[in-house]
Amino acid sequence: MRIAGTSYTQSMTSQINSLAAQQFRLQNQATTGQSIQAPEDDPAGMAQALGLQAQSSTVGQYAQNVATLQNRSSLVGNALQQLKTITDRVNELATQSDGISSPDQLRANASETTQLIQQAVQVLNSKDGDQYLFGGTASSQPPFVAATDANGNVTGVTYQGNDSVTENEVGQNSTVTVDIPGENTSGSGARGLVSDSRYGADLFGHMISLQNHLLAGDTNSISTVDQPALSKDDDNILYQVSNNGAVQARLEVAASTASTQQSGLAASLNNVAGADLTQTLTQLTQAQNAYQIALQSSSTILQLKTSLLSYLQ
Amino acid sequence: MLGLFNTLQLGARALQANQLGVEVTGQNLANSSNAAYSRQRLVLSTSLTTPTAFGLQGTGVQVTSIEQVRDTMLDGEMRDESSVSGYWSSQQNSLQNAQTQLGEFLNINSTSTSGSSGLSDQINNLFNAFQSVATNPTSIPQRGSLVNQAQTLASGFNNASQQLSTLNGNLNTSVSNNVTAANQLLSQIASLNSQIAKATATGGSANDLNDTREQDLENLAGIVNIQTTTNANGTVDVSIGGTQMISGIKTLDTLKTYDPGNGQLLVGTANGGTPLTLTGGAIQGTIDTRDGALKTLRDGLDTLASSLITQVNGIYSGGYDLNGGTGQPLFTGTDAGTIGVNSALQTDPSLVQAAGVSGATGDNSVALALAQLGQKSLAGLGNQTFSSAFASQVGTFGFALSNANAQVDNSTSVTGMLQNQRDSVSGVSIEEEVANLITYQQAYTASSKIITTVDQMLQTVLSLKT
Repeated sequence: MRIAGTSYTQSMTSQINSLAAQQFRLQNQATTGQSIQAPEDDPAGMAQALGLQAQSSTVGQYAQNVATLQNRSSLVGNALQQLKTITDRVNELATQSDGISSPDQLRANASETTQLIQQAVQVLNSKDGDQYLFGGTASSQPPFVAATDANGNVTGVTYQGNDSVTENEVGQNSTVTVDIPGENTSGSGARGLVSDSRYGADLFGHMISLQNHLLAGDTNSISTVDQPALSKDDDNILYQVSNNGAVQARLEVAASTASTQQSGLAASLNNVAGADLTQTLTQLTQAQNAYQIALQSSSTILQLKTSLLSYLQ
Repeated sequence: MLGLFNTLQLGARALQANQLGVEVTGQNLANSSNAAYSRQRLVLSTSLTTPTAFGLQGTGVQVTSIEQVRDTMLDGEMRDESSVSGYWSSQQNSLQNAQTQLGEFLNINSTSTSGSSGLSDQINNLFNAFQSVATNPTSIPQRGSLVNQAQTLASGFNNASQQLSTLNGNLNTSVSNNVTAANQLLSQIASLNSQIAKATATGGSANDLNDTREQDLENLAGIVNIQTTTNANGTVDVSIGGTQMISGIKTLDTLKTYDPGNGQLLVGTANGGTPLTLTGGAIQGTIDTRDGALKTLRDGLDTLASSLITQVNGIYSGGYDLNGGTGQPLFTGTDAGTIGVNSALQTDPSLVQAAGVSGATGDNSVALALAQLGQKSLAGLGNQTFSSAFASQVGTFGFALSNANAQVDNSTSVTGMLQNQRDSVSGVSIEEEVANLITYQQAYTASSKIITTVDQMLQTVLSLKT
């Protein structure tokens, strides 16, 4: 084949350009660690990578939801523990206040019971940020308001919340309810914390009753009415403590699942769009060698042509 | 016998022929780096013979012609490949531009929750923001973050739509510019046809004009696919899309753009007004990109934005804000170009309607339903989620660009091979020309020796009388 003068330079330019482009691509892959950066690099891989990133983003959000809910669940758990301490003391006072207790002792117990009611109201009005924990979904105002008489005795505690609770996603098709409504007298739905007609729980009603019976020195009613009633309240709170523990365990599992899923998705993403560095660097070395050889051979050919012209002259 | 004077003339003719050989070689060497140039060759033959007592005797050398070494079949193949190359290069350029405007690039090493940049990220972030509000329904910062994410996504759609719309306009401008360039080339080719016809009519050759015309024909083929027929007088007839544009030295028609009614320019004939169906060249590549992959991408974004507006607002408008207000939309607009966020929310995030019940500010049922919408397969999106629908669109677009890249690579290879083949026939080999130069130089020197020898012989003859 006859080779024209321009054929050399055109082929050289084309080959050197091609090798330079190859080096650029491989260098880019080596520095970014990615085999895909733009849709044109691998359209199917890009679509798959975007899908994996969307999943990863969703799972990342589930992990954030779990972290938020764990914090709230922990606050609920702390409040429940405090409430349990209060009810334990109330039960103690009820048990102490028998027929052999002196009137002074009964009045002192009544006074302490009043304080414990106020303390329970305070605990049950705990907040997570600007959201009250035990007001159901009507969480913008304190759920419990205590009314007192002129002597400072509690005459009633009003519930301003509702019996609805929110569900939150902690995984695909997996929801968790962390919140507990303060009261539920509707006969259905989430179990109320201090009052639920289905389980005979009415903590404030029963504590006020105890307070009033202590003030009246009616130890008989305390043992026959208040103690059994408070026992039901205690059972109800124990259920909520236990349920809170179960929710926290679920959240732990959800956090672990999200973490595992994120690791798996990151690995999948790396398989789809990550560069095999060993292969990339080997190919880069090959391309660099080929580039150097192309430059060297081009230079040699051009020198030979010059020599040939000198020879012909 | 020729006699001394005829021999002197033989020498003079030889000098002229070899001098012309040096000139042709010089022309070849001067154009050795001109890619459009086809090498020329001096065609010599023995001059007329003279009858003598010893039979027919030669009278030396004469120049028959200066011939251009050209393979018309390869020229035709180069023109065809030029159309293919122009078609795919224009698609590649346009689609790479669209890829940049879309701004969807992957970064798997990103430390953010999502690693790409662009709409995919923004769609994920919107649904994540719904999740955050669902987890903290009364939180003003989370609501503000949701409004910001919605605004970012709306701006992302607006930006992509506007950039792709601008690109669409640029492609229309490119069609117009290419039509102007094609018409100029048609005019130049007709003019060159005229000059070539005049040169050949007087029995001469028009080698350099042929080179110029061939270059114009290849440039024209790069813009629009052409069919050519070479006439006996050296002129070339040119047809585009079945319509003859040049017949000999006459320009019968030119190209013009027309708007079929949708603002997307097409190409027809200027005089005949015939819409042309083109199959190659940059013009058709541009039109096919504009009405193909780019339109699919733009329509896809509009469908995605429209579905997002309808689906989100369908759920959102039934929700209640922290003040008990309801019935307002989250998104305004109808498509990717017009999508926006309810302006009232930007100043007061408490107006985000996250609750499903009036007065229950801690209720998150609407925010949760919106968060779950992100995982829902929707009939309007081909039973895909918003994220997967967009990923599919990016993939489809990527296939179009990847195909254009592969076709450009193929075309570049084919063009390179054809160019090498053509150069092997028509290209100038410097070594060959230098060798020719030496040959002509030596022949010229030898011919001059004939003249000096005959001159000395004449002197000898003249000296016989003195």
